Amino acid sequence: MITDAMGLILADNRRIHLGALTEPRAIAAIPFAGRFRLIDFTLSNMVNSGIKRVGIVALTKYKSLMDHIGTGAPWDLDRMRQGLFLIPPYINPITREPDRTDAQSIIDYVKTGDQSYVIISSCDYITNTSYRPLLQAHIESQADMTILYHQEGPIEGAPSMAIELDEKGFVCDMMVDYPHPASQKNAIGLIIISRDLLLQLLMEMMARGVADFSIVGILQNYKRMRIYAVELQDPVLRIHSVASYFDASMRILGTDIRRMLFSAERPIYTKAKNRAPCIVWPGSGVVRNVLASDGCAIMGEVENSVLFRGCVIGRGARVTNSVLFQDVQISDGVILDHVIIDKNSVVRMDGRLLGHPGFPIVIEKNAIV
Amino acid sequence: MILAGGQGSRLGVLTELVAKPAVPFGSRYRIIDFPLSNCTNSGIEAVGVLTQYQPLELNSYIGNGHSWDLDRNKGGTYILPPYLSQAGNEWYKGTANAIYQNIPFIDSYEPKYVLILSGDHVYKMDYLKMVEAHIEKKAEATIAVIEVPWEEASRFGIMNTDETGRVVEFEEKPANPKSNLASMGIYCFSWKVLRESLIKDEANPDSKNDFGGDVIPAMIADGHDVFTYAFDGYWKDVGTIASLWESNMDLLTDPTLINLRDTKWTIYSKNPHRPSHYFGPDSEVENTAITDGSEIFGECRGTIVSYNVVVESGAVVRDSILMPGSYVESGAVLTRCIVGMDTRIERDVRATPEEDGLTCFINNRLCQGGITVFAPNLIIKEGTRIAGNSMIGPEQAREYPQYVAEVPHYSRMEGRL
Repeated sequence: MITDAMGLILADNRRIHLGALTEPRAIAAIPFAGRFRLIDFTLSNMVNSGIKRVGIVALTKYKSLMDHIGTGAPWDLDRMRQGLFLIPPYINPITREPDRTDAQSIIDYVKTGDQSYVIISSCDYITNTSYRPLLQAHIESQADMTILYHQEGPIEGAPSMAIELDEKGFVCDMMVDYPHPASQKNAIGLIIISRDLLLQLLMEMMARGVADFSIVGILQNYKRMRIYAVELQDPVLRIHSVASYFDASMRILGTDIRRMLFSAERPIYTKAKNRAPCIVWPGSGVVRNVLASDGCAIMGEVENSVLFRGCVIGRGARVTNSVLFQDVQISDGVILDHVIIDKNSVVRMDGRLLGHPGFPIVIEKNAIV
Repeated sequence: MILAGGQGSRLGVLTELVAKPAVPFGSRYRIIDFPLSNCTNSGIEAVGVLTQYQPLELNSYIGNGHSWDLDRNKGGTYILPPYLSQAGNEWYKGTANAIYQNIPFIDSYEPKYVLILSGDHVYKMDYLKMVEAHIEKKAEATIAVIEVPWEEASRFGIMNTDETGRVVEFEEKPANPKSNLASMGIYCFSWKVLRESLIKDEANPDSKNDFGGDVIPAMIADGHDVFTYAFDGYWKDVGTIASLWESNMDLLTDPTLINLRDTKWTIYSKNPHRPSHYFGPDSEVENTAITDGSEIFGECRGTIVSYNVVVESGAVVRDSILMPGSYVESGAVLTRCIVGMDTRIERDVRATPEEDGLTCFINNRLCQGGITVFAPNLIIKEGTRIAGNSMIGPEQAREYPQYVAEVPHYSRMEGRL
């Protein structure tokens, strides 16, 4: 089931910031749903669609992303031919500064692949879909590019790409980050384009000195190129702020959407950690509506929360409406509500952190509260 | 060399289609994860796995050894089934014959020492320390031993040693044991000596070609330097339904007995690639171990839940083992049950030791202590009431189709990896 396309994943997006959560890592490396990172969804969708060659464009802070991706083995991308390519930014050899207009490394990656098409994807949306029907639609429509959109419409203050379509389904207008667009069609960060056209665009970009290779930048060609748009039928969660991240985390507690996102037919792959099974201790409190992961030890009470691998919830602690990243330790008697706590942090005895549904408290990585 | 070809006949229907080392254990694991992880943690990177009985599940589970970091350029894991040759080789006749047939494999590594391990023990052990003790004592064979309670000693192979730890006598299941040092079935040999002993053993028509019964006693009788190596950690031979259930429960009653959270001695297992596990809005979960892809909407207490298990709302599971892919429907009540892979317990089924239910499934030979065992790939039909000490497998499905149905194997694959 080989698809005649290569993947190109944009690990970062200069328009999206999640405060303390993106301080130490690229958007692609943001942990999600207990044991995944955002890139796992796009990467697994590509692999499940039969793509055998994937390049990942990293901009900054890509250490945790590289740790996670490794050789690509969890996605079956550790291959003799094709496989995984990490594309970090080039540093100018004379000035020793990163050259933001230098797309040469991306050009090299695309040029050396022998696939006819490139599927470009950002990492700020979560869905479980096959890109094959989309590629089929692209070929049949004879468009220059094909993109995905969903009908949820832009959310005020959130980055958005509202598109208008003509009667044949081609993009005739696009408004970026406009708070009150007429159209509810919001483009998702995914583009299918032929290899040759992408190379042409990249070379033009360099020639014009345009910094940043981005989804928006490519789509801005809609006036001179035919961009076909297809509605995504599968559920999608978009991550563009701390509030939307928190909201998405709460939504996957819903069994229907969780089962759709993690269907057994199209598994979402991630790096194995080999933690022990999660233990709910004797005499623990209520543990309800909770997504928990291997290595957790639950002695207290947890409700409506997501626990990543290795979290410890002490006796008498009460954790509600919260997201705790890997190896977070909640000591005895702590009370948490509407809190996101980054990796390896500790909340000491009897601490109280109370956030608000629309404004969760975010505790940074390695913090001691 | 991990001996993984045994049937494990005392596990009854659980090993009807899989070899004992491939039986699920402790929520996340298969039994063979323990010796394989011990090898990789001990720095042993060339591992032969000797298979014979029902190897499909085991072979596909081990694959190229990647999950245990045993996919190496030099060495790695090798599945070693019996093979034919012009000399007319045959099935592995015994544990020693299995190694004898693989002399060329071991020779290819030119090792000084060879470890013979069992694929069906649950324990954490640094084999390197045992090899070091072997070298230090200038031993030709070293046998790992563990102290067992005196009253149980007559169930084991007992080592009688002198004050230096040298074995002077080996007694298989002695009526009046002189020592309580039981052989764990874990041996370290100097390869040259073992090679000769295996050839000699093979030439002996009276030998059953077994390590414990033939090769070791012959080495002692021939005056070879056989020493014991005392192991004082947790070790369980999960050979019976009772010991399988108990050692699973040990993980809950005292997680420090075999600390699975020890990051310096990780027990590796194959990754099921499923989401985190979920506790539903009305779930009642306590004293329970659970792993990837499982969803608990009902009640679980004192239970080991493997991956991809579903317990519906209104179901009650206590003191039980739910193996990968098993499904418990609403209204079902299970106490002291072992539910095999991908088996479905339909609505209102009751299986508890106190249950005044069907006695036609009782199997007191294999099941004791009220433990009931369901084979993999069954459907236990709605409302069936089952008395304790029952064992239900494909045979029972054919005999009592009104209570049990067999689903075609590999039609539901939630438990397979």
